[in-house]
Amino acid sequence: MNLDIERKVTPELHLEITTLLNREAYFLDNRKYKEWLELLTDDLVYRMPLRETVEGVGVDDISKDMAFFEETKVSLTTRANRLYTKSAWVENPATRQRHFITNVTVEGTEKEDEFKVRSYFLFMRSRASTTDIEQMFGERNDIIRKVNGVWKISSRTIFPDQSVITTMNMSMFL
Amino acid sequence: MIKKTLDERAFHLLKEKMDEGLLPQWVLTDPDIYDLEIEKIYGHSWQFLGHETEIKEPGSYVTRWMVNDPVLLVRTREGEIKAFLNSCTHRGTQLCTADRGNKKTFTCPYHGWSYNLNGELVGIVAGNKVYGEEMDKSEWGLRPIPQVEMYQGMIFGNLDINAEPLEDYLGEMKWYLDILLGRSGGMEVRGLPQRWVAKANWKATAENFAADPYHVQTTHRSTVEMGISPEDPLYAGYGHQVVMKNAHGINVITSKTGKARVPFQGMPESMWPLFEKHLTPEQLDVQSKVTVFVGGVYPNLSFVSPIHGTEGHLHNYLNFRMWRPLGPDKVEVWCWFLIDKAAPEEYKEAAYRGYLGSFGPSGTLEQDDTETWARIVEVSKGLMMRDKELNYNSVSNYLMGYSHVKPDENFPGPGTAYPTTYIDALSRRMHEQWLDMISKGLFKEEVKQ
Repeated sequence: MNLDIERKVTPELHLEITTLLNREAYFLDNRKYKEWLELLTDDLVYRMPLRETVEGVGVDDISKDMAFFEETKVSLTTRANRLYTKSAWVENPATRQRHFITNVTVEGTEKEDEFKVRSYFLFMRSRASTTDIEQMFGERNDIIRKVNGVWKISSRTIFPDQSVITTMNMSMFL
Repeated sequence: MIKKTLDERAFHLLKEKMDEGLLPQWVLTDPDIYDLEIEKIYGHSWQFLGHETEIKEPGSYVTRWMVNDPVLLVRTREGEIKAFLNSCTHRGTQLCTADRGNKKTFTCPYHGWSYNLNGELVGIVAGNKVYGEEMDKSEWGLRPIPQVEMYQGMIFGNLDINAEPLEDYLGEMKWYLDILLGRSGGMEVRGLPQRWVAKANWKATAENFAADPYHVQTTHRSTVEMGISPEDPLYAGYGHQVVMKNAHGINVITSKTGKARVPFQGMPESMWPLFEKHLTPEQLDVQSKVTVFVGGVYPNLSFVSPIHGTEGHLHNYLNFRMWRPLGPDKVEVWCWFLIDKAAPEEYKEAAYRGYLGSFGPSGTLEQDDTETWARIVEVSKGLMMRDKELNYNSVSNYLMGYSHVKPDENFPGPGTAYPTTYIDALSRRMHEQWLDMISKGLFKEEVKQ
């Protein structure tokens, strides 16, 4: 990392980016999917590979050949549109969900208006009147880019910490 | 305990209702019934372990579960497939916890006993110095899964050494597995199975998948609202439901015209000659007319071979899923994506993306299924539903097609083929199989006491 790039990450920039991530979480938690999609670039790459249990020390445990999500802006739009229908029963009645986004780090790239952003997520969900709380947690690696003066997410890779998912489905976006 | 609560009278009443096309609801999540199922069904049935392409190289292994029995499935140096209890013979510790890998030996982290790919004990720390020369290592190899057999690349294990051979168990189902898995010369698994825990009973998920196309029009109505699926509520009902020996079954869903919505499920034209080569004329006839195959191998393996995408970009793939019971109201789902080895690489990739969009925990179709599975088990603990005397008439309705729909003698495949898939014939057959298995020997033992 050369100093010029590091210097670009000012406290103001950090605040702008965390504000973007917080706004995103608000949209998702409040079912404002159309507004959420506006935060994504048209060439978005959105992935969620499986975490696997691998033997050894310091080995990569992110699956290279299987995922839960391999999405584009178009396929995410289809998924979001479905949640506006009356018969996507998984979200009708709606679940109550919160995305807690923390540990945000911002790193410069070779491109002036593009930053690598790492964040942790804790997703919690309550469904109907059941007392079980569903949760999922992990890390997100994003590329955030400024498009026409507005910060947008152009790439997101979600790494779940569980190899066996314990939410009964994955109707949420992370 | 089981014998105290499950008396003969309750079973007679159960059988009586089942003969009328009804299923008493108390059986769904009753804990005593669950214990019986694990012992009497899973202790004696062929359970899916994996596909041969998951362990291609010598030394490749995957770890699996037969309900609560941990399994280490390996490819030996000689290329043989073997399965062992994934437990060190010294003190029972789980030997290997990785999901997959490639190794020459497996070493237990507790005291360091190690085993080769043939399950032989090859290393004991301090060996003869602590055990003396009299301990024979050959007596302390990994315990093999009593029976391991493969059909069309699908590897199954059975804990019952006296169980009938896999091919006999599959019976008529082989004809359909030959289409699903053998149509182009072989399928391959991509990556790892997706795994997640759902609130559900294994019987309900197996039945939902294998035997119930009727749910498609309502559970998956969002696809109709979005203009992806037809408005016609019968759309998933055209075709045949085939019921087979040992409660295996398949739904061959066509379309209103009796023909496929698109030829060969949207597989590339370059592959059609392979289908002609590998399938019999009767199998080819079925494959050429099908839109969706969906069915199951009893007790807990289900499959679907659908079409997804939009016109001009239609893709077919094969998804197998194993419903691992974790309790009366809990299932761990294991979901595999398979595709023809011979398919073009770009087609494989597009089909994979189609799969992720539809099935598995993130799939838009399956998300809605999980909701209905949960809603069944969440209300199944009440006094009314659990009443074995049936004073409240708590029975589920399996009357669709009961007695009045006759089999179609002209269907080209084996098994009993009914000329619709909106029928409960396969569900009823699965229930019969279930009752036969769980009640086997149950009351004779009780009388003896």
